[in-house]
Amino acid sequence: MMRSIIRPAVWLATVTACLAAIGAVAAAEGFAVSEIAPGNYVHYGVHEERLPANLGDQANIGFIVGEKCVAVIDTGGSLPVGKTLRAAIGRVTDLPVCYVILTHVHPDHFFGAAAFLDDRPQFVGHAQLPRAMAARARFYVKTLQRDLGDLADGSEAIAPTLLVKDEMVLELGNRKLRLRAWPVGHTDNDLTVYDEKTATLWLSDLLFVDHTPVVDGSILGFLAVVSELAAIPARHFVPGHGRTDMPWPAALDPQTRYLEVIVRETRQALKDGRTIQEAVDTVGLAEENNWVNFELFHRRNVTSAYTELEWE
Amino acid sequence: MRARLTLAWAVLAAGVAFGGPALANEKAEPDPANSQYWGSIRNLMFGDREILDGKDVIRVYLAMRADDASTVPVAVKAQIDQTPERYIKTIYLLVERNPSPAAGVFHFTPDSGRAQVETRLRFEDYSHVRAVAETNDGKLWMDSRWVKAAGGCSAPGGKYRVPAALLGKMKFRFDDDIKYNEPNLVQVNIRHPNESALAADFDPDAVPQFVRSVLVTYAGKEVMSAEVDFSLSDNPTFRFWFVPREKGELRVEVEDTHDNRYMQSVPVMEGGPLPGG
Repeated sequence: MMRSIIRPAVWLATVTACLAAIGAVAAAEGFAVSEIAPGNYVHYGVHEERLPANLGDQANIGFIVGEKCVAVIDTGGSLPVGKTLRAAIGRVTDLPVCYVILTHVHPDHFFGAAAFLDDRPQFVGHAQLPRAMAARARFYVKTLQRDLGDLADGSEAIAPTLLVKDEMVLELGNRKLRLRAWPVGHTDNDLTVYDEKTATLWLSDLLFVDHTPVVDGSILGFLAVVSELAAIPARHFVPGHGRTDMPWPAALDPQTRYLEVIVRETRQALKDGRTIQEAVDTVGLAEENNWVNFELFHRRNVTSAYTELEWE
Repeated sequence: MRARLTLAWAVLAAGVAFGGPALANEKAEPDPANSQYWGSIRNLMFGDREILDGKDVIRVYLAMRADDASTVPVAVKAQIDQTPERYIKTIYLLVERNPSPAAGVFHFTPDSGRAQVETRLRFEDYSHVRAVAETNDGKLWMDSRWVKAAGGCSAPGGKYRVPAALLGKMKFRFDDDIKYNEPNLVQVNIRHPNESALAADFDPDAVPQFVRSVLVTYAGKEVMSAEVDFSLSDNPTFRFWFVPREKGELRVEVEDTHDNRYMQSVPVMEGGPLPGG
C-alpha cells in the first residue's frame, strides 16, 4: 500500500531532476558572450520566469578585461550561471578576476557570486547593499530552492567586501572603471559601471529594455536617476535586461515613458480618491503590450508608486 | 442550529488536521474549515466560544492573488448598521500563517458610523485571512478569504528607511465634503517602518519597532481604537468612518513598541475646505 503511493512520487522526482539536469547542460552550452566594445563582454539573459531549464539566467551580466586583471559585472541568477560565466572568462583570458561588482540586491544578478570565491576577488557593492542583502537573503535563498530545486545548491548571497558610497575608480591595468553609487531608484543600492577607455556604460537594472521595468525603491527617484544617466556621453551601453539597437540616450525613452505613465495615472487616482486596490486595477494598463512579463511586475509597480505618491 | 452544526464540524475537522501532515495542495484554494493552523489560533483567541457563519454580519475583501506581499490591501466591512441597539464592537483581523496571526483587533462604538476598516497587510505565506466580528450581544461571526502571497514578513518590504524626522508623522485624507450626522470616510497614513521581527537582519535581542496601538477620537469621543502588529505594512494606513455632529477635532494617537507616542489632529467642519494633514 505504502509502496504504491511512494513509488510514483520517487519516479516523478527522478524524472524532474533528469529533465532539470538536461536543461542545465543545454543552458551552459548555449551560453554566449558578445564583445560589444573592446574588452567589454556581455551575456544576455532570457526573458522567462525562473525555471530549472534556464537556471535563473535572466539578467544581463558580463566582464571587462584590463591588462592586469578582470572585473565581473554581476554573476547571474544561480551558481551554475556564475560557473558558466567563469568558464567563459577563461576562454577569453588567463588574467585573474580581481573584482566582482554586485550592481544591486536582486537575486537574478548576484546568485552566481560563489563561482568566483576561488579567485579571491574584492566583491564590490553599493554602501546600502549589505543591509538590503542581509534583510532579504534568507527569503531569496528559499525562493531559489523552490524554483530550481537541487540546482540551487551552492548559490549564495555574498556580501560585498568593498563599498561604494558615491564614486570609486577601479584600476584593471591600463583601464579604469568608474563606479557610481546612486540614490534610491530601481532599488536603494544601484551601482553603475563606466569603462572610460571605450565609453561603455553598464547600467544594470537602471535600464530595462523590453522587460517590464521594476520599481523596488522609488519611482520618482528612478526617474531622477535616469535623467542624470542620460547626460553621460556613453558610446556603448548595457541594460540590466534586454537588448536594443536604439542609440544612447534615446534607449532610455521607453522606460521613462512607462514610469511617467504610472506616476501621472497614480497621481490622478489619488486625486480621484481611488483606493490602492482600485489604482492597481486601473493604472497604466495601456502599456501592457509594450512589455514582457507585464503580468508579473506591473501591478507591483503601481502598488509601490501609490504608497510613495500618497505622501505628496 | 445550522450554524452550530457547521461549527461543530469545523472544530472536528481542525482537530483532525492539526499536527498532521500538510496534505492539501496549496495551489488550489483550500477549505478554511480544514486549515491545520486555525485550531490553535481559535483556541488561543476565542477559547470554546461559538463562532457563527458571519457573511450577513461581516465580510473581508482581498484580491486572491496579491501582487506585492509586503503591501496587500484588505477591507473588512460590516453588513449590519451600527446602531446603539445592535452594533459591532470588535473586529479581529487574522492572517493565519503569519508569525503573529492577529494583525489587528479593532474596536468600534455606535458613534463609529460603520464598523469598517481598510488597511494593508504583509504575508509570510499563502494564508487564509479571517475577520471575526463580535457584536454587542457577545456573539462572534466569521468570514474568510484565501490569499496567495508570500514573503512579506521576512523579505521585500521596507524599500528604504523612514527618515527619523518624519517618524510618526500622519496624513489625513478625506475624499468627500464633510457632512454632519452621517458617516464620513477618512484615511490616515502614519509614517512608520513597522519593523517586522522576521527580517533576517533583525537583531534577535532587539525589540522590533512597530505600531502597537491606535486611538481615534472625534470631539473627545472614541471613534475607533486598535491593537495592531507587524502584520501591517510599513507606513500603516487605516480607512474608516466617523460621524461628526458638530465642528470638532479628529485626533489620532499612536504608540509603538519602543514606547514612542505620536499624536496628530485635524479640525473638521461641515461645508468647510477639506481638512488635510
